[in-house]
Amino acid sequence: MDRFVAWFCRIAFVFLYIPIVAVVVYSFNASEVSYRYTGVTTHWYAELFHDDRLLETLRTSAVVGVLASLVATAIGFLTAFALARYRVKGRAFFLGAIMIPLIVPEIVLGVSLLEIFSRAGIPNGLLTLVLGHVVITLPLATLVQMGAMTSLDPSLSEAATDLGANGWVIFRRVLFPLLRPSVLAAFLLSFTTSFSNIVISTFTSGVGTTTLPLRIYSSLRTGLTPELNALGTLLVLFTLAVIVLVGVRQMRRILA
Amino acid sequence: MKIKALLAVGLTATSLLAMGACGSSSSSTSSSSGSTSSDEGGNKTLAVYAWAGEIPDSVISGFEKETGIKVTVDTFDSNETMISKLATGTSGYDIVEPSQYAVQLMVQRNLLDTIDKTKLTGFDNLNTKFVNPSFDADNAHSLPWAWGTTGILYNEKCTGGAITGWADMWDSKYKGKMYMLNNMLSAYIAGLQVQGLSATTTAQADIEKATTKLLAQKPLLAGYNSDNYADLVGSGDACIAESYSGTTAAKAVANNADVHFIMPSEGGTLWTDSFSIVNGTKNQTAAYQWLNYTLKPEVAALLTDDGSLATANAAALSDIKNTSLAESPAVYPSDADLAKAEFIVDPGTALTYYQDGWTKISAS
Repeated sequence: MDRFVAWFCRIAFVFLYIPIVAVVVYSFNASEVSYRYTGVTTHWYAELFHDDRLLETLRTSAVVGVLASLVATAIGFLTAFALARYRVKGRAFFLGAIMIPLIVPEIVLGVSLLEIFSRAGIPNGLLTLVLGHVVITLPLATLVQMGAMTSLDPSLSEAATDLGANGWVIFRRVLFPLLRPSVLAAFLLSFTTSFSNIVISTFTSGVGTTTLPLRIYSSLRTGLTPELNALGTLLVLFTLAVIVLVGVRQMRRILA
Repeated sequence: MKIKALLAVGLTATSLLAMGACGSSSSSTSSSSGSTSSDEGGNKTLAVYAWAGEIPDSVISGFEKETGIKVTVDTFDSNETMISKLATGTSGYDIVEPSQYAVQLMVQRNLLDTIDKTKLTGFDNLNTKFVNPSFDADNAHSLPWAWGTTGILYNEKCTGGAITGWADMWDSKYKGKMYMLNNMLSAYIAGLQVQGLSATTTAQADIEKATTKLLAQKPLLAGYNSDNYADLVGSGDACIAESYSGTTAAKAVANNADVHFIMPSEGGTLWTDSFSIVNGTKNQTAAYQWLNYTLKPEVAALLTDDGSLATANAAALSDIKNTSLAESPAVYPSDADLAKAEFIVDPGTALTYYQDGWTKISAS
């Protein structure tokens, strides 16, 4: 039985990592067709760094991701703080309302956002993209932070009060330091959700704000280029760097 | 350890933010200067909304250099997406690149400006085959830019002989080695033409016949695939695939001598993507400058040289430097091959018959 589990585990690992390894390997493939490997080249990386239009979409995605995640994490923090620590009237209603964007199909949200923005006379662009992404990342950011807040031991703040701390000091010196990992987790989760989004972006992007996933998806018609493998490899590297920086242990604690 | 790690993350986040900030500032300045200049009629920017890969960078940078106008290019993945964005009326785009049937739909919705021919130079450069097309009388709203076909890509080593038409895709000899395009109207091209019916039919009986035919074909297929069929044919994992001409097909043919692209004997179809001016644009002058620039033979030739696509500009053919592409049937099928090819146009209300049938096929 143990051996079976061990093998199952190995196979699952291979299955999960083959696509990532393949992207890295193919990014150095000299041939422009994927079924043939004709040698090692860095040609696609050179091409990538000269492809200003593609890099612009990467920048758009990064900007939108950071801005949307910051907003979502901030609003999510306040919402979770209120709902987890105070007796708010209509708590169940608010909780349900937060979940709705998770349940409603994204395409419905996208279409209605497009409609609302155009009715309001807001031209599609960076602003609408960020707002659209806040809609889908807010529930995630709120839920992650709420989980951490409800599991906080209430006796900690009681003890702090006993020792003469006022509300602000308790928040700054006791609660926030304990909640920081969950804030970080909420931010990262929001960022990856925003960064890979296609549906909402389709309806909220505008002049000069095509995001990276939109660009890749629309390239399917004329064919994907190995340049995209190079870009994928760099993104994998970047992700690895973040994971190392955050610390594997830290991540484990956040996810636990 | 923990604080250090958090600090590090904070730093990456801020550096990302800084990168984002300069990115956003540059893009916001370009867009804001766009709106202000257009209000003054200065025409310093042009917003183009096009299929990805159909406007080579060399065309864009050449235009920017010649006119001093800053161009932003956004890409869409389907005509439907593009139409829904333009339908808001606040899209901000000046030039758009619809496919033939989309031109019809957009004219019906009043989304396109009428093109003033007196402001054009080089209209005569266009291939007469694409002038005054069925979907846009007298090119009142669209100037053809790129064109291509829907035909068959096959690997001779795998098929063991030449493939001539759609009928071969119903041959059980190739069971499990064939792919059809994962696109409703494209799949129906084969289903209709193989029975001698028109690919642009709107008759319910014809469409139902095609549905039956496609249902019969499905067990023979390896699947519906619009993404990597060319690689599969190239590697020999698939023998035959319904295929679009252009970049992907040209690459597959160039990389393997056994791979061929043909127009089926039953006809096949033609598509064109054209440039149109968005109704209500504030950058009229720049939009006409774009149309005139892309009508130039030496510019249109770049579409083949740098984009591996066929240009609708007849005068450009002699300017194409990559002669192997100019002669490749995967990019430029011969006139004889195109003789029976049909233009796919908007099926109108018959679309529901296609959709009903496609649902059945997808579910089977």
